[in-house]
Formats: sequence, structure tokens, C-alpha cells
Amino acid sequence: MHMERNELLKQINDIFIDVLDNPEISLTENTNADDIEEWDSLTHIQLVVEIEKYFSMRFTAMEIQSWATVGEMINCIAAKTV
Amino acid sequence: MKFKKGDTYNVRFVVSSDVYNGFITVFNDHNPLHTDESFAISKGFKGRVMHGNILNGFLSYFAGECLPEKNIIIHTQSIKYNQPVYLNDVLNFEAKVEDVYESVRAVEFSFSFRNKDSKVVSKGKLQIGILL
Repeated sequence: MHMERNELLKQINDIFIDVLDNPEISLTENTNADDIEEWDSLTHIQLVVEIEKYFSMRFTAMEIQSWATVGEMINCIAAKTV
Repeated sequence: MKFKKGDTYNVRFVVSSDVYNGFITVFNDHNPLHTDESFAISKGFKGRVMHGNILNGFLSYFAGECLPEKNIIIHTQSIKYNQPVYLNDVLNFEAKVEDVYESVRAVEFSFSFRNKDSKVVSKGKLQIGILL
């Protein structure tokens, strides 16, 4: 399975909207936790869980810790969907 | 982590007078549905309906006391109250591990409470985190 980055971004955006209950969220690859008020340590766990469910993949703790931006999150997902 | 998908846990709870009265004493919810027998019967119930959140207390006991790890925290829970629960009802609680998320040290359970007639009186989802 291979997905374009903008398609991944759109799918992740939908997950963020759902988990953070904020329909105004519009992610870019540079978005980070400081940019979204609802993105805190607890909701981060929910985001990871929902992303793992949605894409039927598992991350490692090290992978997650390496994500500073949404773009780095997409890098990780894209690498697992090739 | 000491959890794997499919693990199940069973606990028996009783909605005793101590639990019922203690809940009212602590939280002060004297709504007549919970405290006035004739009012509850007039609304179609068999008697006083126990506070739904008493079951949340049982859920807290399960998470805090019945799991193989004590270093846990509840992240989220959702619960539906499908059937009324009455004083002195015996409830059989079952929780099943639906998934384990090692990356964020989280475990998701589905759970249900059944009464003596094996009817599901309540069910829901619980997610806990395993603290480092």
C-alpha cells in the first residue's frame, strides 16, 4: 500500500478532528503540539492509538518520541505503508 | 506489560446498602428516582433505581485493585446504562482486553455488568495507561 503524503495528511487531519473534538483543525506538515491547544500528553496517546487503529500498524515508543511535527508522523506512517 | 489481547477478568459486585448509602452520603444525589420507592415505581421501575455512577465506582475498583499491575492510570472510559440496577443486585462484571498499545503503554478493555438474570445492565470501554 502506498499513499501520497497529502492523502495521509488529510486522513490524519480527520483523526485529529475526531479525537480532539475540534472541527477547525487544519494540519500542515509543520504543525506541532504547541500549535493546537487540545494536543496534550493525554490526547497524544489517544491520537497515537487511533492512528494505529486506522492504519492497522504499530509504532514503537522510540518512533513516537521522534515525532516533533505532523510531517515526521507522516514520515513514519509512510515508511510503514510502502 | 502484563496484558495481552483477549485476557478476561471477572469480578462480582453487590450493590449493598453500604454502597448505596455511602454514595448518597458522599455525593448528595437524593434524586427521587434513587431515593423514593413510590416515585420510582410510578415511573415504571420495580423500585429505587441505583445511581448509575455507582457502577463507575466498581469500575474504579476493577482498574485499581483487580489488574496484574498496580501502576496504572485511567485515561478514558465510556459507559452505557442499559438496564436499571436495584438495591442488593448482584452484578457480574467482565472485562476483556481488546487491544494493547505498547508504543504509548495503553490497554483498552471492553466491559459489561450483568445481573442475576444474565442481562447486560451496563457496558462500555475503558482505556488505562501503564505508568513508567
